[in-house]
Amino acid sequence: MMIQANNVSMRYRMTTDRISGLKEYLVQLVKGKIKYKDFWALNDVSFDVEKGEVLGIIGRNGAGKSTLLKVISGILKPTGGSVTVNGTVVPMLELGSGFDFDLTGRENIFLNGAILGYSEDFLKEKYDEIVAFSELGPFINVPLRNYSSGMIMRLAFSVATVVNPDILIVDEILAVGDAAFQEKSKQRMLELMGGGTTVLFVSHSLDQIREMCDKVLWLDHGKTVMLGETTPVCDAYENV
Amino acid sequence: MDQKTVKKGCAIAVCLYVLLMLLYFCISGDSLYYRDRQTAMLSGSGVIGEITSDKEVTQAVSVSRGLLTGISMRTGCYDRRNSGDLRVEILTDGALLAETDIAARDIQNNAVTYLELDEPVEVPDGSVTLRVTAPKGREGNAVTIYCGDSISAARASVKVELAEEERAHVNGEALDSALCVSLHLREQIWFGQYFWYFAAGGLALLAGYCLYILDRNRKGKPLAVLNLFIAFSRYRFLIKQLVARDFKTKYKRSVLGVLWSFLNPLLTMMVQYVVFSTLFRSDIPNFALYLLSGTVCFSLFNEATNMALSSIVGNASLIMKVYVPKYIYPLTRVMSSMINFLLSLIPLFGVMLVTHTPVRLSILLLPLPVLCLFALSLGVGMFLASAMVFFRDTQFLWGVASMLLMYLTPIFYPETIIPAGLMPIYKCNPLYHILRFVRAIIMDGVTPEPKAFLLMIVACLVPLAIGVLVFKKTQDRFVLYI
Repeated sequence: MMIQANNVSMRYRMTTDRISGLKEYLVQLVKGKIKYKDFWALNDVSFDVEKGEVLGIIGRNGAGKSTLLKVISGILKPTGGSVTVNGTVVPMLELGSGFDFDLTGRENIFLNGAILGYSEDFLKEKYDEIVAFSELGPFINVPLRNYSSGMIMRLAFSVATVVNPDILIVDEILAVGDAAFQEKSKQRMLELMGGGTTVLFVSHSLDQIREMCDKVLWLDHGKTVMLGETTPVCDAYENV
Repeated sequence: MDQKTVKKGCAIAVCLYVLLMLLYFCISGDSLYYRDRQTAMLSGSGVIGEITSDKEVTQAVSVSRGLLTGISMRTGCYDRRNSGDLRVEILTDGALLAETDIAARDIQNNAVTYLELDEPVEVPDGSVTLRVTAPKGREGNAVTIYCGDSISAARASVKVELAEEERAHVNGEALDSALCVSLHLREQIWFGQYFWYFAAGGLALLAGYCLYILDRNRKGKPLAVLNLFIAFSRYRFLIKQLVARDFKTKYKRSVLGVLWSFLNPLLTMMVQYVVFSTLFRSDIPNFALYLLSGTVCFSLFNEATNMALSSIVGNASLIMKVYVPKYIYPLTRVMSSMINFLLSLIPLFGVMLVTHTPVRLSILLLPLPVLCLFALSLGVGMFLASAMVFFRDTQFLWGVASMLLMYLTPIFYPETIIPAGLMPIYKCNPLYHILRFVRAIIMDGVTPEPKAFLLMIVACLVPLAIGVLVFKKTQDRFVLYI
């Protein structure tokens, strides 16, 4: 068992007015005006994922898909329930986390890699591969502030996908750069997801879900609507 | 964790402990067993007149129990060469304790003359009487001693009320002031007598704890200490990268680059030196080093806490996307300030050389206060980082609070001007203890007494514990508020 989620709930408390100062807080507290509105982004969600399985998560905007991914990758701590994860998790939620624009591409590979949890030896070994995939060539020794946005995305993608993790968390298949690089990056993602690793995959493209996943979880307003084999869940989702 | 690794770790810890104790023993030398103290000397306002053979000067001096090693007195010679001897006798209840002679020709005008006793003598609590005579003194060939009735405190002098018996007497006749003398006393330190027992006790405790860890680990039970090591080895690379990032980007686009780490404290020190040695006179010996040691330590604390303060809020985008233990952020910020601090020690050593401050073994103790400063900054920084998440006002409050703290730390003024009523507040200030320690080992070249060690360590561990606790309690909610 790689991932086990038991009755996971995530509650956000929303104050009617956003309070961001001590004085304001005290004033409101004295007045007794701090009212919270509970919002359950996840409500009693349970599932488990076996080793090598690909679990697809579908649902409309605001269904709680991204929240669920954040809970599993450890960024959010659930309000209720528990999540057990056995193995290293690489979250591919957003690219280029922690890039520093004053550092060179080379320095950023190591910085970003460290943040994603790669080891030093691994990065040194894969360094050439990363540079080659990003097609940055001599620009790798130039500070990031001089890069075009496409170059930054290419570098970020190359660092993020060099991994070989136990668990991969993917929020939409990332396709960056120009048409050629988009094709290349899509291939890379599919290769990663098909390589026998355990994958949690969020997508709005039902075709991709049908193609990739062994199991599908359908969320709506934080609640599980359906959990099961790919085809029946996808069919039901389409018919809504 | 692998049992073999744990065994190795325990062995290293024990060896390190033994080594540190030996090192401490060697560094502290005599100061482990006793400390030297001097009674306060009055500032001289006049002389008692030539001490001739027909005069006998007596002066009662109150002392606390200890070994008397010598006497200093402010003497005068009327700008001439005198011959003969000056004899100083120390009496208790009329009985002669010790006596010492000094040749009159060695006595300079308005200078402090030190008379060392051949053999230190035990003095009781209470008071001793000094009797000064000059068997061969005659008018025109005699020396004298200064007397006064005030003590100097910083820039002002404070008048001392002298009771009849506290004044100097010449041939039994009381003057209206007292002699400018100071007794050098040596006090035994009980800790020093039992040092090896303490060291052995510590070793036994450490060994016991190691056995406990080994046992727990063999049974596969989790242990906080081991988890700390595991986390550290796992995130070592990340910490290294983040510290390197902070350090590289700090001076990235400046012309002088890393030189600023040297220049900053040096320039601050120079400005303060000019201000405080011309506008506000201060009579601290070796004022440049006094200032620089204070400035360097305080600026580490200031920089580290301010960097840690914004560490969580400033890394919001990262915290919301990738899971990294959150303590990493304040920790790396404090560590990069630390590197800066270590670089700024180089100009400190430079100033030591320029001012001809003798470098003694005690300087090897420097890592300890530095470590304490690190713990203090980390503790305060972690507290501020969590407070900042919930209340953005923290940054402005801390701006004022750290300024207050700066004035509550004797950085550019001497400790002597602190009013006694404020002393309890100073004693609560960890920076006060650290600075005292640092100055003792750098400027005076002595090993501080065990009490100073204890006070400094406790004063830093308490904020660290509070900071870590608050941080741990609140860290799960950070992501909801940033």
